[in-house]
Amino acid sequence: MMDNPIIGLINLQGPNCMEELSPTRPIASEPFAGKFRLMDFALSAMVNADVDTVGLLLPFHSRSVLDHVRSGKEWNLARKQHGLFYLPVDVESEVSDPKPGDIRTYYKNLRYVEVERNHYLLLSGCDVVHNTDYNRVFHQHRSHNADITLVYKTLDEEDPGKAYVLKTSPSGRIQAMEKRPGAQKGDKLFLGAILLNGDLFVSMVRQAYAQNPDQYLNDVLARNVKHLRIYGYEYTGYAKRINSLESFFQANMDMLDQENWKGIFRQDRKIYTKIKDEAPAKYMADAKVTNSLVANGCIIEGTVENSILFRKVRVGRNAVVRNSIIMQNAVIGEESQLDYVICDKDRSIQPEADLSGTKDEPLTIIKHEVI
Amino acid sequence: MSKVECLAMILAGGKGSRLGVLTKNVAKPAVLFGAKYRIIDFTLSNCRNSGISTVGILTQYQPLELNWYIGNGSSWDLDSEGGGTFVLPPYMNDKDSSNWYQGTADAIYQNLNFLDMIDPQYVVVLSGDHIYSMDYGTMLAFHKKHHAKATVSTLRVPLSEAPRFGIMNADNNFRIVEFEEKPARPKSDLASMGIYIFDKETLKKYLVEDAARRDSDHDFGKNIIPKMLADGVPVFAYPFDGYWKDVGTFESLWQANMDLLSDNPPISLNDPAWRIYSGNQSLPPHYVGPQGSMVSSLAGEGAVILGRVMHSVIFYGVQIEEGAEVTDSVIMPGAVIEKGAVVDHAILGERCRVKAGAAVRGKVGSIRVYGNDSVVAPAEDDVPAAASGKGAK
Repeated sequence: MMDNPIIGLINLQGPNCMEELSPTRPIASEPFAGKFRLMDFALSAMVNADVDTVGLLLPFHSRSVLDHVRSGKEWNLARKQHGLFYLPVDVESEVSDPKPGDIRTYYKNLRYVEVERNHYLLLSGCDVVHNTDYNRVFHQHRSHNADITLVYKTLDEEDPGKAYVLKTSPSGRIQAMEKRPGAQKGDKLFLGAILLNGDLFVSMVRQAYAQNPDQYLNDVLARNVKHLRIYGYEYTGYAKRINSLESFFQANMDMLDQENWKGIFRQDRKIYTKIKDEAPAKYMADAKVTNSLVANGCIIEGTVENSILFRKVRVGRNAVVRNSIIMQNAVIGEESQLDYVICDKDRSIQPEADLSGTKDEPLTIIKHEVI
Repeated sequence: MSKVECLAMILAGGKGSRLGVLTKNVAKPAVLFGAKYRIIDFTLSNCRNSGISTVGILTQYQPLELNWYIGNGSSWDLDSEGGGTFVLPPYMNDKDSSNWYQGTADAIYQNLNFLDMIDPQYVVVLSGDHIYSMDYGTMLAFHKKHHAKATVSTLRVPLSEAPRFGIMNADNNFRIVEFEEKPARPKSDLASMGIYIFDKETLKKYLVEDAARRDSDHDFGKNIIPKMLADGVPVFAYPFDGYWKDVGTFESLWQANMDLLSDNPPISLNDPAWRIYSGNQSLPPHYVGPQGSMVSSLAGEGAVILGRVMHSVIFYGVQIEEGAEVTDSVIMPGAVIEKGAVVDHAILGERCRVKAGAAVRGKVGSIRVYGNDSVVAPAEDDVPAAASGKGAK
């Protein structure tokens, strides 16, 4: 069997933009859609394109990532040849002398990319929920004879927060890559997935590191749009960037729309995650559940509306949960009322508690906090 | 790696002929159960949870799907170095060309080489088609404590049910003094669950002897245990008092599924100390729609429930469309209940489709069952008056 010409590299070091929820949990480990974590989408998309060598650039707080991915078995990456490679962060310099930019971390891990010869590198972050078919990206990359291909989405709504917006020619070649404080409807938002020749990546990173190790790869790409053949690949399915508590809440809630749900959770490109062997969800005699996603292991006695229940959540008798995200293993006490609440994992909400946030400012109940 | 103390041999070759269309293409242990499981998950999880890490699975009838499902046993953590899961189909040996397993004892007899290869001290013989949670470690401790050569796991059953089972009489010390297979007039209510622990050497001796007998059915209950008793071998009755169900018929399969639905079910699927492991589908959580409802029910992953579900088991990937009503039923993976259809007291196989406006109505004692890929179209009298027009089909 031919080895896949693409090796994957996923940068899990993205900034934590949701300190309200957890000061130490990396963006990669943020929960999504009832049983997933954000890193599952990047990992699964690569595996679904038969990429069988995947490097994970670990975040500073890596425990949750390691606990989730372990051997990589769930993604079929526990292999004798190829498979999963953990690329740890340089903890010492992170603590004593943290620096901006991602060029340094790529430079320090170039060996992972250099080991394989004559290959392509598929580089992705993990802060965007999307389900891109990388086989198509690869096909387009070769048919355009591109040096670099960037995956983008034409926005159908504005997307606040620092963004890289692409300008393309009718042929799809990128003419400009602009850093903006926020992206507007109609903008071509770069989703953070890049396909390029491995040797090109190595030389770009070396050069950039020599220039200034504190810079970002995206800025290096932006400076190169004129003399490299950089093309855009338009992804047209559901995509949502998670860069704030609001976008996290909205992206989760988006999954209650069947169109979005079916667009992300496809039979032909499944999203894999850690298997927990929980029982099927159990609805008791008094359960009233509408417009909600419910994961395995849940036991529901109360009312749940417009909400997402992660694995092993208990909703007590006469409790009412509305417009909320309840993470794994949380217990919602009897007679309690929750509206616009994000409840972190392992939390217990006392019986008769009354908690509410708003659509724009959901109330967060974080781990280890007593309510 | 240390020596294997106890080897499990699971009899999984049963045809389950009373399950009709549900076992047309699969062995009974592979029949789906409880919204995400297959029947054999319970026995395999019992092994794993009892600390047994070496398991032989004897297959024969329609083994493909079962073999595919079991794989290397990793779903049940039964793929460890030094242990493992071994699927044992009948094979050609030096004595004769084709050797289908003739009975439960013959199946083990034909795999004596495997027993010798693993060389355990004890062999636990199990059936792959029962729903129960049981710690075989406790039974093994009982076996050792009584210096038994063979131990039969037993359950008290109503006397009226007793003629369906192997029935024992035991003394005050649990030693079995009499064993009758399916007696017309049972003398006791102590029934065999078809679960045995043997000292390996004793088992081997009796299997070899039995294999030579032409008048034997080569069955543990009918032949091996009675012969041991006749010879004065110490055989003990291990008292088990938990939930145990042999799901051999449509009614019992349906009932065992329904047993999971009460607020306090007789068998727990949610015990973190006794997880029921199974294969995995990599599906997202299921969705209940704005007009949907789920009451006294179980639902697996990836299901889309837009209609109303009452007291039913909904497997992964099932779709229940708007206005459909499902009551007291078991809906297997990938089935679609179209708009306004009604399903009541039924078991629907995988990928069944109940067309819009159609009705499937069974009742207790007469559960309606459809095999995989069945399509149920509306009969004329099922079509609501408003939509029927003139003889609409």
